[in-house]
Amino acid sequence: MPAVDRIPRGLAPALALVLVLVLPWLGIGAFWILQIELIAFLALIVSGLNLSFGFGGELALGQVASYAAGAYVAGVLSNHGVSELSVTLLAGMGAAALVGFISGVPGLRLGGWALAMVSFFLVLLIPDLISAFTSVTGGQAGLTGINRPTFFGISTTGTDAFYVTTVVIAGAWFAFMRNLILSRYGTALKVLRESPVLASSLGISVYRLKLMAYVLGGLPAGLAGVLFAYLDSYIAPADFTFTVAISILAASILGGKDTIYGPVLGAAILQLGPLRVSSFQQYSLLAYGAFLVLGGLFLSGGLLGAWRRLSARSRRARLARLGRLGPLGASTDATAPAGIAASQEPLGELPGAELSCEDLSMAFGGNVALRQVTLTALPGRVTALIGPNGSGKTTLLNLVSGYYRPGGGRIWAGARDITAARPHKISRLGVARSFQSPIIPSGLTVSEVVASALFRRRSAGMAAAVLRLPGFRRARAADAAAAGSALSQVGLARMAGLPADAQPLGTRRLIEIARLIASRPAVVLCDEPASGLSADEVSGLSELLRRLAEAGATVLVVEHNVQFVMDVADEVVVLAEGAVIARGEPASVRADPAVIASYLGGPMPKVGAGEGDR
Amino acid sequence: MTVLWAGLAVGSIYALAALSYNVAFIASGIFNFAQAQFIMVGTFVAYVAGAKLHLGLAWAIIGGAAVCAILAGLEEVLAIRPLAGKGRSGELVTTIGVAIFLDGLAEVLFGTDPRQVPYIQGPAISFLGGNVTPDELTLIVLAVALTVLITVLSARTSLGLRGLAAAENRQAAMIRGINVRYLSLGAFAMAGAIAGGLGPFVGSTTFAIYNLGDNLALKAFVALALGGFGSFPGALIGGLAVGLVEAEVGVYLGSYYQNAMVLALLLAVLLIRPAGLFGRPAERVV
Repeated sequence: MPAVDRIPRGLAPALALVLVLVLPWLGIGAFWILQIELIAFLALIVSGLNLSFGFGGELALGQVASYAAGAYVAGVLSNHGVSELSVTLLAGMGAAALVGFISGVPGLRLGGWALAMVSFFLVLLIPDLISAFTSVTGGQAGLTGINRPTFFGISTTGTDAFYVTTVVIAGAWFAFMRNLILSRYGTALKVLRESPVLASSLGISVYRLKLMAYVLGGLPAGLAGVLFAYLDSYIAPADFTFTVAISILAASILGGKDTIYGPVLGAAILQLGPLRVSSFQQYSLLAYGAFLVLGGLFLSGGLLGAWRRLSARSRRARLARLGRLGPLGASTDATAPAGIAASQEPLGELPGAELSCEDLSMAFGGNVALRQVTLTALPGRVTALIGPNGSGKTTLLNLVSGYYRPGGGRIWAGARDITAARPHKISRLGVARSFQSPIIPSGLTVSEVVASALFRRRSAGMAAAVLRLPGFRRARAADAAAAGSALSQVGLARMAGLPADAQPLGTRRLIEIARLIASRPAVVLCDEPASGLSADEVSGLSELLRRLAEAGATVLVVEHNVQFVMDVADEVVVLAEGAVIARGEPASVRADPAVIASYLGGPMPKVGAGEGDR
Repeated sequence: MTVLWAGLAVGSIYALAALSYNVAFIASGIFNFAQAQFIMVGTFVAYVAGAKLHLGLAWAIIGGAAVCAILAGLEEVLAIRPLAGKGRSGELVTTIGVAIFLDGLAEVLFGTDPRQVPYIQGPAISFLGGNVTPDELTLIVLAVALTVLITVLSARTSLGLRGLAAAENRQAAMIRGINVRYLSLGAFAMAGAIAGGLGPFVGSTTFAIYNLGDNLALKAFVALALGGFGSFPGALIGGLAVGLVEAEVGVYLGSYYQNAMVLALLLAVLLIRPAGLFGRPAERVV
């Protein structure tokens, strides 16, 4: 993680900001001052879209509504004699955050395009609401007489003063955005984008994280709205149309929707290109439509993403020419994890908690997945859950993780009843989980993915992250150290800085195991960890699970690979058609006639990976 | 009662749009943002057929259906299929792109003024205690008839069952020998044809205007959210409900509050019953 954040990275944008700030004194004219102000407004709005949509994967597209809210709050306040910029900025941000919140309410339940539709609906409402309150807003005719504000007594009336105000505010937002994205919060957003299920299994409250994304996604639009109201001292419903919403989406995709500075690029191109040409007006919908189709198909990372890929490729080529194929080039081959458990560094003591299910039942419609299953997994032991496909193994793990509410029965972790607890609460009690197909978020390094396991612990807080306070730096160093130690446990230490989602299946499973280890779990739930692994990798995995148990954790593993189960398990529980048909030591279960009849099917166990069971 | 008829007629348009969304959604699993734009294209085909070429109603229906079936098929092949399986809601961006492109095309070809579609016309008649025009009555009858027809077809025909199977689980459907790709293309073309064929009927009430689809898309979405995505009776009930709320609010509170109240209705339903009235929640999570 420290590598992400070396000083030169933040320095270039800071220098660029200073350069833009002094442009008026370098002799640019009124035309360019206006263009840069308009670019700053658009870039602010687009940045909010990148935060919620690009990084969080939440299609909250209502930024125009937040923009309008900010503008009208500033306009109305100005008409009522409020001329202090700090006050109107705060009020505008508050209104914008409220709009972001409202547009997000359905997203908390539905997500996906339902969220997009509701946010478009808000854009449709703008002219209606402005007209409904004509006496305050000026209605369709617009709101006039908005005087430029003072900032703690300093007038911003002059062209240069307003320019500096605009650029400083935009710069402050982008600094905020950068520090937020390059912190635990940014990682959490990327985890959410990949899978809300994964997010909650890491102890992230999906509900709160989504709300944060919607509210923060509206803030910069509110800032831009406030500034826009002062620009011409006139605003009207025509400034906040559906077409503006589309141009924002286009700018985001053009610049790169999951980039920090892409919005500036996208906004600059749109502002200096099509938006300035008045003859474009008639063809704007046609052009935006065509661009969204083409951009959506071919420009997945935006211009900034494409540039980054190109520069990464040329850097690799340069290293290869110099004959110094460092760890970066060498470890991209698929055979990288030669042996697991390379490190014998002790795991330390894990808390451990007895996991018990009493009379657990679950039905999906008429399909009964579990019938009164009672099961206890003890700390310090590996308990294996086996059974045919559809026997209810994964359903049981999902119930323990809190993804479903059971139809009947109780679940305990230690002394805590977790039957009705939310998934992230269960995770925070120390219940860690791996998945049937590994869930590895894109856009993160191996080390960051493993460090994401630490979210269930206390963080230094958003203010500390954004301001880069010592508490944040300490927490970040501790996270990176814990991730590094967990990675060396699974033999992946040298892959820490590589992109995690590009790794082959075996490596991704090991990354998940490292993520489990890093969370210092009390209870470990593994869903078919051995499927898709080579024989060597399976024996390494056995050793890792044994070591987790020896360190004190409760390990519950669902698996089809019978040899692996016989090697690793202290106790085996056999499920068939949702009921326990046998339990005991591996050898005795192995010989049980009922188990042979329903699952193992004869003296030679059939070793194979299954899928799709509940 | 006159307000009620007007509300039911507008609601029928929303219901018809929602029905066509459902046809594409069930077989492909994709919410095609541009679906409502096909109704808009259908109204312009009907305008050209009626006001310029003076063709009969049947030709206007066939023309609209053919044009939109081709457009929807092209959309599926060019803007959606390349993104299949990549996740990340990429197709939402591209279908919004197709919608905006069609809006822009209509604007460039026909300008921004509404054009009258001269098919179902005539003076209002008094019916069940209120005044209702023939085009409104036709829309209501059409919405109910089409809902019944599609519901029966989807449950009784092999094609319909294949669509339902694909909606339930695409991979399982593929394993059972269903060609999911052809099914998806076919469903898009069919949904396009239905939407385009509605042009003369919808256009007689709304006129042909380039941005008709934007409003229809949002209201059809609300209808689907109310009724439950993928449910045909739900689309009808949801659409009629939205139309009635709009009409009543328009009379009692004023037109500026129509959309706001529809949004309030949507938020209320999403908070109380997120799966909609006829929908059911998803089961498996991992």
